[in-house]
Amino acid sequence: MTATAPTLFDDPVVPPLRRILNSFRGPVGSISATLVVTLLVGLIWVGPSFFSPSNIQIVGVSVAIPLIVGVMASFALLAGVVDLSIGSMVGFGAVVFNQLVATGMNAWLVALITVGVGVVVGLTNAFVIVRFGAEPLAVTLGMLTLLRGLSQVVVVSAPPSTLIEPLYNVTQGAIAGFPTLLLIGIGVTLIAAGIVSKTRIGRKVQAVGGDDRAAARAGISVSKVRVIALVASSVGAAVGGILYVGQLGSASNVLGTGLEFQIYAALMIGGYSITRGGVGNPIGGLLGLLVVAGITNILNVTFTDPNYLDLITAIILVAAVLVDRFRGGDAFE
Amino acid sequence: MTHFTRGRLARLGLVAVAAASLMLAGCSTVGSTSGASTDSATDSTFTVGFAVGGQPDADWQDLQGEVAKGLAEQRGWNFVELSNDNSEATATKNADIFIQKGVNMVMMFNGQPSANPVIAKKYADAGIPVVTFDIAQPGWYFVGVDNATAGTDGGTALGNLAKSKWNCQVDLVISAEGTAAGQINTWRTGNARDAVKKVCPNIPEANYVSYEADGNLTTSLANAPGVFAAHPDAKNILVVGLNDQAVVGALQAATQLGRDGSIMGWGQDGGLITGANVDPHLAGSVMYFLEGYPAEAFKIADEIAAGKAPAVKDTGTDPAASVQPCPVTAAQAAAIPNINDRVSQLAAAPQGTTEYDLFCKA
Repeated sequence: MTATAPTLFDDPVVPPLRRILNSFRGPVGSISATLVVTLLVGLIWVGPSFFSPSNIQIVGVSVAIPLIVGVMASFALLAGVVDLSIGSMVGFGAVVFNQLVATGMNAWLVALITVGVGVVVGLTNAFVIVRFGAEPLAVTLGMLTLLRGLSQVVVVSAPPSTLIEPLYNVTQGAIAGFPTLLLIGIGVTLIAAGIVSKTRIGRKVQAVGGDDRAAARAGISVSKVRVIALVASSVGAAVGGILYVGQLGSASNVLGTGLEFQIYAALMIGGYSITRGGVGNPIGGLLGLLVVAGITNILNVTFTDPNYLDLITAIILVAAVLVDRFRGGDAFE
Repeated sequence: MTHFTRGRLARLGLVAVAAASLMLAGCSTVGSTSGASTDSATDSTFTVGFAVGGQPDADWQDLQGEVAKGLAEQRGWNFVELSNDNSEATATKNADIFIQKGVNMVMMFNGQPSANPVIAKKYADAGIPVVTFDIAQPGWYFVGVDNATAGTDGGTALGNLAKSKWNCQVDLVISAEGTAAGQINTWRTGNARDAVKKVCPNIPEANYVSYEADGNLTTSLANAPGVFAAHPDAKNILVVGLNDQAVVGALQAATQLGRDGSIMGWGQDGGLITGANVDPHLAGSVMYFLEGYPAEAFKIADEIAAGKAPAVKDTGTDPAASVQPCPVTAAQAAAIPNINDRVSQLAAAPQGTTEYDLFCKA
């Protein structure tokens, strides 16, 4: 039997170890190295207690919900439609869940209703953006304001307290010393990463975000992909709202305010782009959030002025953008 | 230079920026004394954890932390401070950090108290006593002003001004509400409104209007123009509200709209009645000396540190410590030092002194 020579379009055979190492090139490599530095600084500055179970629990609990919301929102980013309404959707989802549970309704049923609200919000965003070709930034900014307003209409005084023990235990608990909610968040991230890199739908999402006209010419339904991505984004935010109620035992009308900036800053640090679709990987998003959460924790446990957090996050964000440009931007991807 | 080489350099650059940023922050550790990075669990010195509110436009919240830090230093205690950042999620995380640090007690102002039941559960499980300012929570020592009296005092003073200046001919009484504060809003805003009615009983009921100011200047300034637009003929206007920020938001809106020809407001808390930039239409306020609340809280802390924890009094009607309200006109307030000087004077005063003792008794 004679071996056939590789054609121009065959992927070159790469050893598994080399393939793993290759995956750390680009943004994921940069952010991995940044995370390692962050952990080292934490170890030196805070001491061994930085890696104590209680501290890992604090970091894990604080990062898990933004992670789940961010990973789901990243599908919209990949599809080239930024969804600015996720923070308000988290808040509104939490308000809906909290208020309905307080009336005595079954928590599972209420969770289903809350997810349904997320679907409706996502479809509304998608309808205006896809059907009328409206600018996603403007539409989702409008939705952000609308949902925040609705939260304030619903919650006009002190919100009811709804400490749901099983949900509280999931959001605050640990399995083998590791925060349960973070494990769930990592699971969601890995599934999302698998969908993005290993499935046809993932490649379609990237193709639509990268160049929607080319994707359409290749027979991909751009509208369908963007509708699904925007619904996934809103549903992720609604689930985040439910989890926040579990964690906090209530939901005020300001819950989730500014969360969209926190999440998108971390996603951009992790290699996503607000203005360019088709770029980024959920693993990068996870690492970006862990870097920000790690820095936050270092500042918190050393009781450093919290205002420095915004300063540091901004510096790293700008650096990440410059690194992206420096290494070639689109040409590199 | 190839992309590969540039990429390597870029990655190194990002890592360097991360490290440099953290080191930069490390040069400026604030809000802690006596080696805050040392776990209190391994240190027998009494440690106070202090969570400031972190609400925007509220300098007094940061200054509460300054006062508390000074009082802890007076006693030779450890002091660690975090900001709740006006977020219930952050307040909950801060509770975990204080518990991890093994503090002996916590003092806090939480402007988003919806998570307080969860936070209370965490502290109760850890056996850490908590002093809360102004917002009551079962199981926590409550330190706050007598809100009902404060509301009545402010409304009475404003009503008397309307009587002397306008013979109670008032076209509009605006209530800048902060409904999220619940009963506190009812006491402060509602009682002030009732007191105006009592002094000037002939003001028609239709002349009383309310809007949501949410207890902050930004929201108040954004929402107040609607009230003025809905009452275009109103000339003599009174404003009461949850706090100084809410009231000043309405007064500034009136100025922006050219409706400030005949308007007077009376605030609550005294946050904006002293200093160089007092709104000229803010006729007075009820000063609580908010930044000085820790002075009351440390009286409780002294007993806890001495091993004689007092019985928990956790309601506004039966507080662990009641802060005396101090109604002042703008002219009287001008004689009171600004907030930073008050903090300095309180820090220099003998242990147990309050700002009411220093600035209101006289």
